[in-house]
Amino acid sequence: MKPTAGMRKLYIVLPLLVASYLVVVFALADYMKNKPLLEKLGYIPSVATMRVLAADHKQFVASTLMLKVLMYYGSLVDKGPDNLHVPADYPAMSRSIDATLKLDPYNQDGYYFAQAILPWDVGKAEIANGFLEYGMNYRTWDWTLPFYAGFNYAYFLKDYANAARLYRRAAEISGNNMFMSLAGRYMQRSGKTEMAIAYLDMMAKGARQESLKKTLGTRRDAFLQVLKIEKARDAYQQKNGKLPATLDDLVHAGLLRGMPRDPYGGKFFLRSDGSVSSTSGFSFVGDKK
Amino acid sequence: MINIVAINLLAIIRDRVFHGILVVATLFLFIPSVSSLSMRQVTELSITLSLSLLSFILLLLSISLGATSLWKDIERRYTYSVLSLPLNRSAFLVGKFAAVTLFLVLATLVMGGAACLMVWISSGIYPSERPVVWVNLIACIGADVLKYTMLIAYAFLFSTLSTSFFLPIFGTISVYLAGNATQQAYDYVHSAAAKTLSPVVKQAASFLYYLLPNFSAFDLKVNAIYGIPLSPQAVLLPVVYCCIYTALLILAATAIFSRSEMK
Repeated sequence: MKPTAGMRKLYIVLPLLVASYLVVVFALADYMKNKPLLEKLGYIPSVATMRVLAADHKQFVASTLMLKVLMYYGSLVDKGPDNLHVPADYPAMSRSIDATLKLDPYNQDGYYFAQAILPWDVGKAEIANGFLEYGMNYRTWDWTLPFYAGFNYAYFLKDYANAARLYRRAAEISGNNMFMSLAGRYMQRSGKTEMAIAYLDMMAKGARQESLKKTLGTRRDAFLQVLKIEKARDAYQQKNGKLPATLDDLVHAGLLRGMPRDPYGGKFFLRSDGSVSSTSGFSFVGDKK
Repeated sequence: MINIVAINLLAIIRDRVFHGILVVATLFLFIPSVSSLSMRQVTELSITLSLSLLSFILLLLSISLGATSLWKDIERRYTYSVLSLPLNRSAFLVGKFAAVTLFLVLATLVMGGAACLMVWISSGIYPSERPVVWVNLIACIGADVLKYTMLIAYAFLFSTLSTSFFLPIFGTISVYLAGNATQQAYDYVHSAAAKTLSPVVKQAASFLYYLLPNFSAFDLKVNAIYGIPLSPQAVLLPVVYCCIYTALLILAATAIFSRSEMK
């Protein structure tokens, strides 16, 4: 059969279209892969609009927003050579968590993630506590919310009265008196670091997301180093009757085997009151204090 | 009457609607793996996804079957031959409505089973701190069926009002969106935040609230997902409300359909 003019045209047009498609689809994939991370969380409509448009799918929309934040955060952690080095868009994450919890005030992931990120990486313990106290009105059976909020009050905000109130609530809900004894340990100076380690262990327990596990693990490693320095400092003080001026004093006295390494990439130092700090401020964002 | 229902039900099945549903329903298979992305609430997320997918498919079914079945028959000119038979128009319309609703119930039974299976698998792999309350889950799926029955009734009413394709489809979508928002709008208008609104607007909002369907009453997802106790009122009232509201809509639809002129 002799090809007609129309078929001849098809022979030319079809390969051309297929070739162009291949060029475009790979270019598009490449663009999407290298798209700036900050654009990925993107714009979200107001909660009032979403409530109307989501109709009876509010919990679904809330979960989708939360998964978007998790994937965004996961991609940040994975992109850094060994950890989180890319500046994260915390306001966008916070906005998304806020929308998630307004659409579905029962969403446990929202509270957990807010607590894992906001007080530590952004220094916004008040915002995290706002979320947590709001959630306590809904998740009345969940002891973790008052436990997290109590920790924030004691550790970050130094508000021990509120911390005690929330730890009491966590104890009441869970039937576990450990929270009461934990609250007591805050009052001691070195107890604070031990408390933070215990808290991080509890948070990491059952954390199934690799990126979050990594974040919590790094933080815990940093606190283990701090605890090591604090123990050496206390030993030094007992022996010499005064606080060491620098960490080198502890190394020279043989109380520390080498300078401990801050997993956040900073350098540990002693403040004038003897407390241990780091130039990293225990986050990849850097010391904001 | 039973004959009309049976014939119409068979017609829906012959149109391969079920095959279409099965294609979309394969999404159920991905629910356990997507749910595992959650940090702390894998089972809850699997229930959320299952219920949303089921509700979405039921919405598509209600709109497509409810809004097109009458229109299609008129377009294909089946109606004229059927209506020349010794049966009245009301029985024809009610039979058609019953067939679509029955198909919705059958589809829900199949997909509801699939949804429960997916939730069961997810809760087996990553057990939740709070056990799944299966009664609430089933009540939630049942409430969805009631809600979409009302929506189908609306689609039929719109089909009798206009022989075009657009009013039934877009009218039904609008009712779905409005029905889900009425409670929020009513709560807002009567809250302290809306103090500055004029009394006329408030009265109009109240009037619309009582006139439009209240689909929020059928939304038991929170109870199903997080195992929050359900009161008997939360189940019984919507059932009675749905029955009366649907009866009124179908009554109006048959009244219009009996009087409409067919060329």
